[in-house]
Amino acid sequence: MSTETLEAPLAKPKEALLSKRRKKFITDPLNDDNPVTVQVLGICSALAVTTQMKPTMVMAISVVFVMVFSNLLISLMRNLIPGRVRIIVQLAVVATMVTLVNEVLKAYAFDMYKELAVFIGLIITNCIVMGRLEAFALANKPYDSALDGLGSGLGYSWIILAVAFFREIWGSGKVFGYPVFEAIGFENFQANGLMVSPVGAFIVLGIIIWVQRTKTGYVEH
Amino acid sequence: MDLINLGIKSIFIENMVFAYFLGMCSFLAVSKKVSTAFGLGIAVVFVLTITVPMNWLLNEYILNEGALTWLGPKFATIDLTFLRFIMFIAIIAAMVQLVEMMIEKFSPSLYGSLGIFLPLIAVNCAILGSSLFMAQRDYTIAEASVFGFGSGFGFFLAIIALAAIREKLKYSNVPDGLKGLGITMFITGLMGLAFMSFMGISI
Amino acid sequence: MQQSNTYIIAFSLILTAVLGGLLSGVSQVLGPAQKKAQDLDTKKQILGAVMPMADIKQMEPEAILELYSQVISSVVADYQGNILTTNEKGESMVAENVNIEKNYKKPVEERQYPVFKYHKPGQVDNVEAYILPVFGAGLWDAIWGFMAINTDLNSVRGITFSHRGETPGLGARITEGGVQARYKDKTFVDQNGSIVSLDMVKRENTPESELGPHKVDGMSGATLTANGVNAMLNNYYGYYQNYFDKHAKKGAMAIN
Repeated sequence: MSTETLEAPLAKPKEALLSKRRKKFITDPLNDDNPVTVQVLGICSALAVTTQMKPTMVMAISVVFVMVFSNLLISLMRNLIPGRVRIIVQLAVVATMVTLVNEVLKAYAFDMYKELAVFIGLIITNCIVMGRLEAFALANKPYDSALDGLGSGLGYSWIILAVAFFREIWGSGKVFGYPVFEAIGFENFQANGLMVSPVGAFIVLGIIIWVQRTKTGYVEH
Repeated sequence: MDLINLGIKSIFIENMVFAYFLGMCSFLAVSKKVSTAFGLGIAVVFVLTITVPMNWLLNEYILNEGALTWLGPKFATIDLTFLRFIMFIAIIAAMVQLVEMMIEKFSPSLYGSLGIFLPLIAVNCAILGSSLFMAQRDYTIAEASVFGFGSGFGFFLAIIALAAIREKLKYSNVPDGLKGLGITMFITGLMGLAFMSFMGISI
Repeated sequence: MQQSNTYIIAFSLILTAVLGGLLSGVSQVLGPAQKKAQDLDTKKQILGAVMPMADIKQMEPEAILELYSQVISSVVADYQGNILTTNEKGESMVAENVNIEKNYKKPVEERQYPVFKYHKPGQVDNVEAYILPVFGAGLWDAIWGFMAINTDLNSVRGITFSHRGETPGLGARITEGGVQARYKDKTFVDQNGSIVSLDMVKRENTPESELGPHKVDGMSGATLTANGVNAMLNNYYGYYQNYFDKHAKKGAMAIN
C-alpha cells in the first residue's frame, strides 16, 4: 500500500532503488510466493510450449516484458482509470503489450513466431498478468509495480524453464537443441516419448510442485 | 464427414485441457465440486459456440488482409491482423456479458451458483485460445462452428471428470506437498493419457 | 476517482486512440521486416528441396534471397495446365504468395498449382528441376512440403516436409534430412510408361533390393503418417500432369 501520508517536517529520505522492501518484490515470487506453485496462477498457457527449452525461453522473456510494462503503465494511470471500466482498461493495455511482442517476433524471429504462434496471444489471458495488475499495480507506485512485475515474471519463468529442461532432456536427449547425451559419450539414450506429450508436462510440473512445496512447507487445504 | 472428424478431434484428441493445458486456471483454483464444474462447463460450451464463429466473421470481414474489400476496392490492401488480439478479447468480453445477462434472466439459481465464474470466463485461456486456433488454422465458417462447440464440449467433459475425481480424493491420504495443485497435475496427466487412446479414430 | 459518464467516455476514447495509434505505428514500422521474414521463410523451404538444408541455414538472409532470384522462376497453373497471370483479386500472380493450405480445401479442379522452376543461374530456360508444393493430412494434423522433380518429369531430385502436429520421434521424423533423402532418384513412372505409386513402405531398414525404384524405406511406428505422405505425393504428382504435358520439356528419359 502506498504510504505517502503526512509530510514530516524532515523530508523522508528517498528509498534506495533496491531497498530491502523492494528486493522482496523480486525474491518472494521466486520461492515463497511463487505465482505458479503457490498462488496457483498462470499454469494455463505456457505448458504446451515447454517441449523444448528454446521456445520456452522466448515465452519467458515475452511474459516478463508484458508483465513489467503492463504493471508500469497501469500503475502510471492508476489514479485516472474510472472504476467501472477497470478490467477492460487492464485487458486493453495487456493486449497491446502482447501484440507488440507478437509483431516484433514476426519481424525478427520468424522461426520462433511460427512455433509459438497462438501461445504468445494467450499471455493476455494468463492469470498472473491480470492478477498482479489487480493486486498490486492499481495501488502502488510505478517503479514498485514494475519490480513486482519483474519478480512475478521471473517466478513464473523459472518454473516453466524447469519443466522444459526435464521434458527436453528426457524426451529427446537434448538441451537447447544440443545433444547432451551424445556429447558425453552416452550414445544409446532412449528418448522417453511420454515426456514430449502433454502428459509428461503435467507429471513433471506435479513433481516440481511437490518438491517446492515440501521445501517451503506450504500445504494447500 | 470431415466436420464430424473435426468434431471428434476437438472433443477428444485435441482436448483444450489435456492437449493444450488451456482453461485450467479458473477451474483449478475454484472448482472442487461437480455441480459448480457442471455449471462452468455449460457456460463455457455456450460462450465458445458463440464466440468462435463470431470471431471468424470478424476475421473474415474486417481483420484479414483484403477483408475490407466489401467497403470498396481501395481498402483491399489493408491488413488489420495486428488488432486481432484486442478485437477477439473485446468480442469475447462482450459475449460473456450477454451470456451473463441471459443467465440472470432465465435461470437466477444458476446465476447465483456460478457467481464470479461467469466474468472469469472472459479471461479463461481456453476461450481466447479456441478463437486464436481457429484463426491460425484458417477454418471455414462451418469448421469454426464445429470447432467452437467441440472445444467447449471437450472442456466440459474434462472438468466434470476432474471435479468428480477431486471430490473422491477428499477421502484419500495425499502427501502434504502434493495436496491440491500437485495431485491435480498428476490426475490431469493420467487423464490426458487416457484421452490419447482416441487417436486414429476417423469416421 | 472521477466517475461521471463523460469522464469514462473521454478516458476510453483517449485510451483507444493512444493504444490504437501505438499498435498501428508499430505495425507500419515493422511491416516490411515482417513481410521479408515470411518471404525468406517460404523461399528457404523451396530451396530446401534442391539444396541441403544445412547449407541454406548457414547462409545470410540477403544471400538466400539473391540465390533464389537467380535460380528460381515461378509460375502458377490451373488444373488444366494453363498459366494463370492474375489471382482471384485481379492482382498479378505471385507464386510464393499462393496459400497451398487454402487451396487444398477447394475441389481439385479449382485449385491453383504453383510451380517453382529450378534453373541454372540467370538461365530461365535451362531448367534442372520442377519444385512442386504439396499438402496433405498426416495422422494428427496437416503435413506439407516441396517436392523437386527432375526434368525427366519422373524422378525425384529432393523433398522437404513439414508438419503441424505429428508425433515427435515417430511421424515428426518426416522433417529429418535422412528420411527426406530416401526419396532421391525414386520414380513415379515404370518402364512401360504407366504412372505407379511412389510409396513409403511400412518397415524401416528394408533392404534396397526389396524396395526398387518405386518404394521408399519406411519409418517404424509411423505407418499412418507415411500413408498420409504417400497419398499427398501421389495425388499432387497426378495434379501436375496437365501442366507437364503443356509446358514442360521432357528431358533425358522421355516418357510417352
